[in-house]
Amino acid sequence: MEKLFKVSELNLILKYALIDLVRNYRKIFSIILTLFISLFILSAILTIENSLKKELNDNAKALLGGDLEIDYHSVEGNLELVNKVKEFTTISNMVEFSTMISTTREDNNQSLFTRIKTVDEKYPLYGTVVHEPEGAINQIHNEPYTILVNENIFKTLSLTINEEIKVQNQIFKVVGVIKSVPDVSGFIVFGDFALAGKETLDLLKLNTLGSFLHYEYKVKFNEGDNTNAIRKRIQDIFINDTKVRLRYPENSASGLRRVIDNFSQFLSLISISAMLIAGIGIANTLLSFINQSNMSIAVKKALGFFSLNIKTIYYCQLLILLTFISIAAYGLSFLLVPMADTYLSKGLGLNIKPLFSIFTFIKIFLVGLLVLVIFSIPTINAIDQVKASNLFRNVFQNLQFYYSKKSIFVSLLFLSVLILLFVIGSARPLYSLFYFGAFFLCLIVFFLLSKFIIFLLKSLKSTSNIPLKVSIKNITQTKSIMPITIMSLGLGVTLLLTLALVGTNFKREVAKSIPEIAPDYFFIGIQSTDRDTFEETILSMDNNVRLEIVPIISSGIVKINGVDPKSYIKRDNDSYWVIGSDRRSSWSDEVPEDNPITEGKWWDLDQPNKLQISLDAKVAKDFNIKIGDIFTLSIYGRKIEGEIVNFREVDYRDLSINFAMLFNPQFANTIPHEYLATAKFENPTKFKETVMLDNLPSLSIIKIADYLTKVTDILNKVFIAIILISTITIIIGLIVISSAIIVQGKVKEFQNLVFKILGFSKKEIVLSSIIEFILIFFSVILIAVLFAVIGSYYVIEHIFELIWQFDLKVLFNLGLSIGLVTLVLIMLTNLKYLNPKVYPLIRNQ
Amino acid sequence: MNTLLKLKKVNLKYQTDKDTIKVLNNIDLITKKKDTISIMGESGSGKTSLVMLIGGLEKATSGKIFFQNQDITALSEDEVSEIRRKHIGIVFQSFYLIPNYTAVENVALTLELNKFKNPQQQAKELLDRFGLKNRFNNLPSQLSGGEQQRVAIARAIAMKPDLILADEPTGNLDSKNSVMISNILFKYVKEEGSSLIIVTHDSKLANKAKRKIKIKDGKIV
Repeated sequence: MEKLFKVSELNLILKYALIDLVRNYRKIFSIILTLFISLFILSAILTIENSLKKELNDNAKALLGGDLEIDYHSVEGNLELVNKVKEFTTISNMVEFSTMISTTREDNNQSLFTRIKTVDEKYPLYGTVVHEPEGAINQIHNEPYTILVNENIFKTLSLTINEEIKVQNQIFKVVGVIKSVPDVSGFIVFGDFALAGKETLDLLKLNTLGSFLHYEYKVKFNEGDNTNAIRKRIQDIFINDTKVRLRYPENSASGLRRVIDNFSQFLSLISISAMLIAGIGIANTLLSFINQSNMSIAVKKALGFFSLNIKTIYYCQLLILLTFISIAAYGLSFLLVPMADTYLSKGLGLNIKPLFSIFTFIKIFLVGLLVLVIFSIPTINAIDQVKASNLFRNVFQNLQFYYSKKSIFVSLLFLSVLILLFVIGSARPLYSLFYFGAFFLCLIVFFLLSKFIIFLLKSLKSTSNIPLKVSIKNITQTKSIMPITIMSLGLGVTLLLTLALVGTNFKREVAKSIPEIAPDYFFIGIQSTDRDTFEETILSMDNNVRLEIVPIISSGIVKINGVDPKSYIKRDNDSYWVIGSDRRSSWSDEVPEDNPITEGKWWDLDQPNKLQISLDAKVAKDFNIKIGDIFTLSIYGRKIEGEIVNFREVDYRDLSINFAMLFNPQFANTIPHEYLATAKFENPTKFKETVMLDNLPSLSIIKIADYLTKVTDILNKVFIAIILISTITIIIGLIVISSAIIVQGKVKEFQNLVFKILGFSKKEIVLSSIIEFILIFFSVILIAVLFAVIGSYYVIEHIFELIWQFDLKVLFNLGLSIGLVTLVLIMLTNLKYLNPKVYPLIRNQ
Repeated sequence: MNTLLKLKKVNLKYQTDKDTIKVLNNIDLITKKKDTISIMGESGSGKTSLVMLIGGLEKATSGKIFFQNQDITALSEDEVSEIRRKHIGIVFQSFYLIPNYTAVENVALTLELNKFKNPQQQAKELLDRFGLKNRFNNLPSQLSGGEQQRVAIARAIAMKPDLILADEPTGNLDSKNSVMISNILFKYVKEEGSSLIIVTHDSKLANKAKRKIKIKDGKIV
């Protein structure tokens, strides 16, 4: 090693690395191509992720709506404390609520469940509300009964500016259309929304649970004030207020950040799979390149080059290639940012710009370097096998991958670093680790499969069918491309089939809920006094409607066995939502049909004055709750203790009425409550929303199909991105196979020439190629389907907690398509070897 | 003190699946500086193997080989490479120029390896001496056999080696080119004072050497 680091030696190595690279780049084109594609995918993912996070960070205050947010959730909060803060800051009050808005035309009226935000003149404290026509936002402050709606409401309800709409039983004038709002994080990202003046709240009847009221106070610090000191001062003011939650800009858009992190992690893992598949091809092409340079290496050794120097020349070439490719891949990934921006600005109102980050570039370069080194170590080590004495004998043996204990150790070490690079810092490290485990397991299985097929075919008794004989010989020969084809194709196909199965299962699960189990509508906020009116109205529309009406109250879990659960249950607990804020709970005489009891007994009728609680079994498991444990609930400000008497298996996926907590009706009936209803109509067109809203203006109606369509729409877009990227892994796999065929080219050409001399027809040669492909592909597809089934089952059943189903049609269509594309590619690559010119080969030219 | 090379009881054996093949058997040889030695013998007699051992390209099964009083059989592969790089030039029957390097680059490679100044210029001067002025930037595939061998000789002698090993340097050439190549080689060693060990089947070429050695069945006879 000491010799290697002499500067003059290094200069020499670098010089010859450059000369060799410039003159041989055509021979290693597939390395350049596969490395570029895989690094480009990774660059694109990281660049878009960085640009998006930069946008979120730069606009953190705008996204939060201030320097600090005082969040009282569903109650107005302690105004005295808020006013104290107002003494040294600027505060913008806002209240969000959900309600129905509908058109007021003579006929064909439509309605939409909408989130409305009432704002004061100070809104927004940061950023701007982009809207049309200019000045419309001032109108909502100055004129009562005016409203700004988002583009989707405007389009869906076919509104015009200054058209009147009904919000509950009040008439409002639509004075403008919102293009985007700065505080996206405060709104439901993919819901419909509107802005109205602060007086609006008083004009509407908003005292129901269905309004989902949310009180927020956005705070802006005075210029020049010390941020930390002001934060501390505000924290001190609210120190004894347990209902408030203070949020800071760094926590803004946390949901969006989580989505970005998860999505980016997932895509990064697919891209690293593409890189590892490319690595197999790189190793193969590099070995072929070294084999072609066998004589030059021997000459260099004869001239006195050290083996290490020659190996360093090859490593330098790879390093130079990687430097240029990673710069190109990273640079070109910036071109994708405007495309992502178009989509994101439309969907979220975020405007992302390309962001150069030296750390991202280093990460991309490092990933490329690690993959190159891992796969080139056994290849470049083959140089040790080249002997200068071969020059005297005029004989050159074909080099093979060379593994020594040291090289295996170094490869494994670099592989671990590569895995750690993706695992550490990822949103879900354990999933990443599991993914890598599964990937390498697949790789090993496909490698063993190739060895097994070779073994099986070798032990086959000779056949008289010539094309079959030739194809078997091709597969079983020492320099067969079989292992590489099986590994690269197998991994790519497995990835694509798994994602396709996950995608179809997911979409089917979402879609199947609509006609089979789920109701057509949810009705929220039915007052006790309106219950009969509601029921009569529904029945008058459809006598055969399947109507379910249940009482609801809002309650919060204050203590579990005398201890505040938030003090020991972490936020990442799957069931944290149950204690996070007040939840809707209900009661029932009988055990709900789709909520079987898993432990304990139904209500003890001898204790009607004691609160008894039936709890979701999963929540009980997540919180380690036992039968007999005591919950202290806050109901309308009163603390009531209840005993857990049973656990139920609750399946929220059926979109029917499900509650984490049910109470004994003997006790709960006495609590003031309202109702929640679901309805499944014989024919959904029988339901007239506007008639219902005329009778019960404060009612909120959610059409399940609309929401499922929205979710399916988003899922479709997500899956298109995923399938696109996994298709690229298949493309890389195909390039690897094609390069492996080209590597074999000379042998193939010579073989075909011999066949030609022996009188083989072109048809027989083509047929042998097809048989060879079929033998390889069918074994690959069988194992790939097996892995795809196991992988997708795990993802659907254990991660998404949905029901997995085998989908033969998808597997068949996809398998057939990949098979045909691969076959065409193999035939095209082989085409040029079908007509070998006799003279040059016979003369050994 | 004038000894350049000394072989002492050198044996070379190859082990096959079935038996052991004795290639060289107890070879003793002393070469002085400025010596020219031709080695003749039938195919398979061990001529080339002997040259390979002297060049440090194969390891002797037993015996010692001293080059400039240094036992090269006791050195590592890299240490032998270092000696070869500085002191030994090799000319092959099949020329073995690096196919994607030009004539100048093939010659300059060995000069650069030995850290000569202006390697390109020196390579050009050498090629010019061998009548290849118009072939500087040609690739080996664009040169005739004779021209390729002249470039190969230029490469072997560029760093002014103490010993030149030539394995049938005219074996792949016509008679006219053979004469030209042998003249170049012998003229060079005479002018520069290098030693030459040449393996050949050509008795005319062999006669040009001061000493003639014949090998039969792995023994010097």
